[in-house]
Amino acid sequence: MRLQQKTLALAALVSFALFVASIPRVEAAEAHAPAVVEAGTSFAIPVEGSGKATFYLVGPDHVLKQAIKLPAQVQIHSDDVRSAGRYRVIVCDQSCVSSTIEVKAAEPAHLSFFLHPSRVPVSTRNSIDATAFVFDRFFNLYLAPATVDFRVAPANGAGFARQSTAHDGVTSVRIDSTPHEGQVRVTAVLGTVQEARVVQQVASEACSLRLRAQTSGDRVILETDPVRDCSGNALPDGTIVSFTKIDREGKTTIDTPIKKGFASTQITVAGPARIGVACGVVLGNELTVNGRL
Amino acid sequence: MNLLEIFFCRRVVVSLTVASMALAVCVGAAAQSSPSVHLDAEGLAPRPIEQLTGTAIVRAYTLAWQDLARTLESGRTERLGDNFVGFAKDRLLRRLQEQSKTGLHVRISDRGHSLKGIFYSTDGTAMQLVDHAQLEIQMFDGDKLIDSQTEPHDYVVLMTPGADRWYVRDLEEVSPKSF
Repeated sequence: MRLQQKTLALAALVSFALFVASIPRVEAAEAHAPAVVEAGTSFAIPVEGSGKATFYLVGPDHVLKQAIKLPAQVQIHSDDVRSAGRYRVIVCDQSCVSSTIEVKAAEPAHLSFFLHPSRVPVSTRNSIDATAFVFDRFFNLYLAPATVDFRVAPANGAGFARQSTAHDGVTSVRIDSTPHEGQVRVTAVLGTVQEARVVQQVASEACSLRLRAQTSGDRVILETDPVRDCSGNALPDGTIVSFTKIDREGKTTIDTPIKKGFASTQITVAGPARIGVACGVVLGNELTVNGRL
Repeated sequence: MNLLEIFFCRRVVVSLTVASMALAVCVGAAAQSSPSVHLDAEGLAPRPIEQLTGTAIVRAYTLAWQDLARTLESGRTERLGDNFVGFAKDRLLRRLQEQSKTGLHVRISDRGHSLKGIFYSTDGTAMQLVDHAQLEIQMFDGDKLIDSQTEPHDYVVLMTPGADRWYVRDLEEVSPKSF
């Protein structure tokens, strides 16, 4: 009787062991994702384990979810990793495991270029501000150092170039304006990428402002010589010139715009008068009419 | 949490019959409260920052993260305000659409941002910053939690001014070693 019980117990134990052995062995999933990849690059992620699982790739602008059978080589297409940033790779079977891929910008392919201001006086130091942002073909900021050439080509005179290294995707330089008025083309160049902007150079402050007077009784016609800056550029029409008259009735100022390069006006004087002219911060000559005041 | 929410939470908490609901409402309100954003503009170049601009930057960035957290959790693109523009908005909209398609959503517990200004253009039209953010990010597929991240996150941020405020034009997460 005892022997029979022992035999039965042994048989049960053997059956249980056989049952356990027949259960398929499930290994925990494990993804071997690369730490860093370049944006727009295809690659594969080997995933170890056994059985069925769900694979996720979650990035800044993309979510990929697919059922996989382990072990697997999950193909990541170039379109799946266009945006730079950190992507989470998640594999779930009974539990979930995750890792991170850093997607870095591809090679520079675009320059976002700003030139400021749009109009600038001639021969002024550091008056033009050029800023360039460097992007790859997917418009990710290119954060690695990159040298940008700023080529300055004035309408008149010799051009020149300034180099600046972009750090963290941006670089900025200040450029002197050239001596002659007209359009100046500034081109930012990085490898084969070029982006051009134009700045309008205008005459600077007036220089050697001269006034002439033609008297007829108490009426005086006032006219300036052509109003130019120190480089010989004509000040634009519309620039205000101020004529000031001092006679026995007091002081009178008349503001008049430059027309076709000259400023002129007509005034009446009460007896002797002193007349002056100014444009911006520049004073011209002074005239006396009808004798000394 | 504003005063109304605090008042509402207190009123509901005292009612034992709906105690669990009260807790949920309070937690929900707390989750949507403004994240703390600190701006360090010491190293900003080539243009120095004006105090009002600094305040505007912090306000805009705070609102942007509130929007981001809210929309990533709800998956509703219409809840995305206009604090994001350009590349940042395009990417976020694509992410939201694909999240919805795949049934994923993300819960962000925002524990604050340490912003550092690194570039401010001379003409004042662009500012680049680096954000060291303390976030807890949980990702769900339906109701199932599939991922949880608690480590700090670093972002490169590009902000540009509009008529009356600043906008987030680019937001890229980078590895902590990058800066």
